[in-house]
Amino acid sequence: MLPLPAAFYFPWEINIDLVKDGASVRTFGRLTSYVPEESKAVLSCQQSSAQCHVSVQTSLVEPFQPILGAQYFVLGEIEKTDGLGGVTLHARALTCVDGVDLALMQQAIVEQRRFFEEREKLMNVQAPRCESPHT
Amino acid sequence: MAVNDPGGADADAEEPPSMLWGLDPVFSAYSRLYITDILQMKESRQVPGVYFYKNHPFFQVDVLGTVVYKREREDFYCYGVDDSTGVINCLCWKDEKWRDQGEPTKCRDPSGSSRGFNIEDELKRLKEAERQSTELEIGDLLRIRGTVKTSRDAREIKATCFYKVSDPVMAVQISHMLEMPRLYRKCYDEPFQMPSDDLGGTEAGGSSHFHYLLSRSVLTLKEFLLEKEVAKFRPYDVEFLLHPLIQTSSAEQESDQHRTSLATQIRKLLKETLSVLQDEGQIFRKMRTQDEVYNVTEQDKDLHTAIKDILREDTKREKYAEKGCHVLHILSSMRQRYSQNLSREVLEVALTFLECKSDIISTTEAHYIVL
Repeated sequence: MLPLPAAFYFPWEINIDLVKDGASVRTFGRLTSYVPEESKAVLSCQQSSAQCHVSVQTSLVEPFQPILGAQYFVLGEIEKTDGLGGVTLHARALTCVDGVDLALMQQAIVEQRRFFEEREKLMNVQAPRCESPHT
Repeated sequence: MAVNDPGGADADAEEPPSMLWGLDPVFSAYSRLYITDILQMKESRQVPGVYFYKNHPFFQVDVLGTVVYKREREDFYCYGVDDSTGVINCLCWKDEKWRDQGEPTKCRDPSGSSRGFNIEDELKRLKEAERQSTELEIGDLLRIRGTVKTSRDAREIKATCFYKVSDPVMAVQISHMLEMPRLYRKCYDEPFQMPSDDLGGTEAGGSSHFHYLLSRSVLTLKEFLLEKEVAKFRPYDVEFLLHPLIQTSSAEQESDQHRTSLATQIRKLLKETLSVLQDEGQIFRKMRTQDEVYNVTEQDKDLHTAIKDILREDTKREKYAEKGCHVLHILSSMRQRYSQNLSREVLEVALTFLECKSDIISTTEAHYIVL
């Protein structure tokens, strides 16, 4: 009944194989285009010198006030369409967050990931010791 | 299930006894945990409704997350909250006072100054604002404080306080993401230190045991001094009293790495005991010399006589005749006359003793005259 948790991903991680088809994700980007008739929007992000784009399907979050050029936060499911080689994010939530400190946000995401990786490592170290008869 | 269980690393780890849970500060707080941990915490075997993450007991939590699911009934909202680690249902009861609102109050005077301050309107506006802060849509940011409940095999949070968080530039969410790992490293991942019941001489484990020994030794010494009417003594005179206390505790000791010698333990205990008794005013050292001699306040006849003499002489003076002498006045006179090292505690013990004997009487809480 409840949807799956949506983990934070950077926009450049969405288009590559890091994210599974159907996974719930959160990400962000600058609104560079919006076509209301097709309910399609594009969020862009600058990484090093390259621009990366994320296509967003906005049917579930319309109507919304589109501000081209503003930063948006989006939460939704990934759909990997074959052929076009594109990845579409079906948005369940789309919020304008213009003014967000991108550098700090990046730091926060990295910090959270690091914490969970450390915890994963710790558990893997302890798991062999754990002699559970239930497994 | 044991493999992916961050909260119960040692599957066989014993829960701390429920009587000690109050000693853990996180137990009484609305702890900020990741939703994934709230969902996976194990329920206590001792008390249902309390959950364990790494041997810390929890029952109250504080979560911040995006609303991804909403169900509204007449009495409550049920919001599904996602904080990027997990999704949990939150039961948020509507407040009685928000019903019977009638129409939402239209703002009669936008400037707010022309009509003056109308309290009824303001109250209505306040209630409306409160109500709106609890009505969320999917995508809004919600903060919830509440108790964790398990109903029909699903964990949920029953909110005691919930509201929509206005976070236009994601500052709140970002700071939350930065804060959580720190909280975990500092508090939740640190094991809950229980007072140890091993009787070793180690500092951490033995301190509560030491306090127990200390209180017993203080009592033993007091009883001895009273019974034998000891007026003066040296530490080695009373050392023997402590032997049985130390011996019983070390008899129960099995093997230990930090075995301090019996003599050292006794000496330490004696030193602490004498210090406690001095602080209480039961004993004192008249003169600070090499020779460590202690006078027992209630048995020291010279002390009593000196106090009575001061009171007798000073109450003859007009200044003190009516009201008597204040404790501090007596103290300074005693320091000149009897002993420089006299402390207020000792004097008060002596004065109380003399009053019980009906030699003197207190006219006010701090003034005394002689009878």
